[in-house]
Amino acid sequence: MKRQSLSYFVALPALLLALSAQAHDPKEHMKEAQAPDCAAMKDMDHSKMDMKDPVMQAMMKKCMKAMHKDEEGSHEAHGDKGHTDHGNHDEKSDEKKPAKHQHKK
Amino acid sequence: MTSFKFLSCFKCLAVAAGVAAVTGVGFLYSGLYPMGADDHHNDLTYWALETLRERSIARASNDIEVPTDLNSSERLLAGGADYNDMCTGCHLKPGKTESDFTLGLYPAPPNLTLTGDRHGHKHAGDTDNDDEAIKRQFWIIKHGIKASGMPAWGPGHDDQRIWNMVAFLQRLPELSPQQYQILTARGADDAGHH
Repeated sequence: MKRQSLSYFVALPALLLALSAQAHDPKEHMKEAQAPDCAAMKDMDHSKMDMKDPVMQAMMKKCMKAMHKDEEGSHEAHGDKGHTDHGNHDEKSDEKKPAKHQHKK
Repeated sequence: MTSFKFLSCFKCLAVAAGVAAVTGVGFLYSGLYPMGADDHHNDLTYWALETLRERSIARASNDIEVPTDLNSSERLLAGGADYNDMCTGCHLKPGKTESDFTLGLYPAPPNLTLTGDRHGHKHAGDTDNDDEAIKRQFWIIKHGIKASGMPAWGPGHDDQRIWNMVAFLQRLPELSPQQYQILTARGADDAGHH
C-alpha cells in the first residue's frame, strides 16, 4: 500500500506535465497560435546579421510569408483605393458631362 | 586453520550484509525519509542519484547517430515551435527566469536558455564532446527521466521531430526574446513543418 502511495508521488509530476502537453499534433496548437512579430526585425542591428546563419535564415523564412501577405494586403488596399478614385473620377466626369450637355441645350 | 579463518570471515560478512539489508528495508518501511520536493536530498543521496542518472544516460545514448543537417533553418523552425509548446513551462524561454515548475520541481529542471556551464548542471554544453551532449539531449527528450518530472516524448513524437527540438536547443542560449518569438510562433497557416 505504501509502495503504491510512493509511486503516486513519483507519477504525479510526470502526469501533470503529460496532461499539460496532450496536444502532440501541431495542428492542435493552431487555435492559440501567435503570429511572428516580424516588425521586430526592423529594430534589430542589421550590421550584426549574418545571412548565412541558420537562425537568420529561419527568421527570414518565417517572416517572408508575413511580409508577402502585408505587401499583398497593401497592394490590394491601394488597388481598391485607386479603383474607387477612378470610379469617383468617372462619376465626376459623368457629372460634368450632363452639365456640358445641359449647357449646350 | 586457514579455511576456518576464511569461513569465520565469510560468516562475519554474511551477518554484516544481512544486518545492512534488514536495516535498509526497515528504513524503507519506516517512512522516515522525507519525500517532499521542497525537502532536498542530502549531498550523498544527491550525488548517488545524479551519478546513477548520468552514467545510465551516457551508456544508453552512446550508440545514437547524430544527423548531419542538425544546423538547418528548417529544423530550427520546426523544433522551435515544438519547444515553445511543450518545454517552456519547465525549461523557460529568453527573457524568463523562473516559473512555477522551476520553483517547485526537485531536482529543478535546467534553464535551457543558458549554456550548460551556466545553468548549474554538469552536462550539455560544458562537455568537450558536443556530440555527447547532443546525443544526451536526444535520449532524454525521447525517453524522459524517471521520478524527475521529465516525460518521455518518444511515444508521441517520431525521431525526426525530436531531432528538430535538439537542433533548436543548440541555438536557444544565444537567441534574444525577439528572435525567439519569431522562430517559435506558429502562424495561422503554419502547419508545424512536419
